[in-house]
Amino acid sequence: MAHVLEARDLVRRYGPIRAVDGISFGLVEGDLLTVLGPNGAGKSTLLGLLGGSLRPYSGEIWFRGELRDPGVTDWRAEIGVLSHRTFLYGALSARENLSFYGSLYDLPDIAERVDARLAEVGLSEAAGRYVREFSRGMRQRLALARTLLHDPSLIFLDEPFTGLDVHASALLREVLVRLKDGCRTVILVTHNLSEGLALADRVAIQVQGRFAFLGARHEIPDGAEERFYREWVEDL
Amino acid sequence: MSRYLRQVWALAAKDLRVEFRTRERFVAMAAFVVLTSLLFNYAVDWTLLNPRDIASALIWMIIVLGGLLGLGRTFELEKEDGAMEGLLVAPLPRDALFLGKVIANCVLLGLVEVLAVLVVSLFFQVDFTQNWLAIGAVLLVGTIGFVSLGTLFSGITAGTRMGETLLPVLLFPLLVPLVAFGASSTASLLAGFPPAVVYGSLRILAAFSILALVSGVGLFRFIVEE
Repeated sequence: MAHVLEARDLVRRYGPIRAVDGISFGLVEGDLLTVLGPNGAGKSTLLGLLGGSLRPYSGEIWFRGELRDPGVTDWRAEIGVLSHRTFLYGALSARENLSFYGSLYDLPDIAERVDARLAEVGLSEAAGRYVREFSRGMRQRLALARTLLHDPSLIFLDEPFTGLDVHASALLREVLVRLKDGCRTVILVTHNLSEGLALADRVAIQVQGRFAFLGARHEIPDGAEERFYREWVEDL
Repeated sequence: MSRYLRQVWALAAKDLRVEFRTRERFVAMAAFVVLTSLLFNYAVDWTLLNPRDIASALIWMIIVLGGLLGLGRTFELEKEDGAMEGLLVAPLPRDALFLGKVIANCVLLGLVEVLAVLVVSLFFQVDFTQNWLAIGAVLLVGTIGFVSLGTLFSGITAGTRMGETLLPVLLFPLLVPLVAFGASSTASLLAGFPPAVVYGSLRILAAFSILALVSGVGLFRFIVEE
């Protein structure tokens, strides 16, 4: 099966620190890859490179069999990014935020789409309220609506559970289950082992910018996940 | 309207909507314009100077210094909850992002310029109605150049710790031709010379502004993509 996304020997440095140090992997349609790792392992930098907000120092990213050209923006229309930062504007209402992003993605029927997404995340009644008045959980639910607004086929989730209340975490988990429809490819970056492994098909353990482990979920022994993870983290 | 123009417009409209709600930048710029004019009114001995002789220099300096207060905060909005990253991962050409910011800044600075003209005419009894169309054209062309450079350099300094201090240091040397030709054209028009007299200066000003705009469009992606 052809790769939807392929990273080849990606390198990204911050001064002397190699945040991403020669990472290569490929994902096929429907894959959900969880990237685990301690703080400072370079997980968010990896997502930044894949999402196009950061440039690699060296290496290549292939998307649907084509070398990704940073000057061309069309491939970004297929990407959705959900981070612990919401990318939302506090002085705009929930509806205005989504409509703005809908305009950037040049979506047809923006108003209908915005209403549908707001309903999905349970924010229809708060649609006209300014985002600065929202709680952390409401903001993250709105960010989830923003991420899925343009129906992306490739979704990057960077520590999406950070700071979420029980309701918002449950909603996010529910959405993640729905996203595993075989048509979308998802990369979930987290340092939370149980949340990371719950839905993963494939797992990577990133330490000091490198994948210490990359394999299928079933290669990690049930009941011994934490020991397995620790061994790989400490080995490198 | 093409997709590109719709994206540019969406960005400019978003910035203006946020600004009209928060008025963070406009209030700072407007207060600067009024207070500086007021101080000048008391600082200059009008028995020795004719207000009309220094009005054009005064108005250009007020616009540049006041405008800097607003331009320096162009990207503050995008720092809110990582919004810049949201723009960078969207299918948005980097130059469209730049142009959207330039349009929003031009509208904002245009409003400040209207205020500056009103305040200067009120405090210094300078008549802007004579040649008002030509004066408007000079200010418009100069604004495009100033805002283009200001937005570009604001993007450069936004990621640095000393951003707001660094911006004038980097920007002022580049603004010398703009201020020189803008102020001299305005002075001639305020003195009552016909607009034909300033066509040469206006053409140079226009060339400078086009160069600033094109440079911004070409260079902006190297600034925002780390």
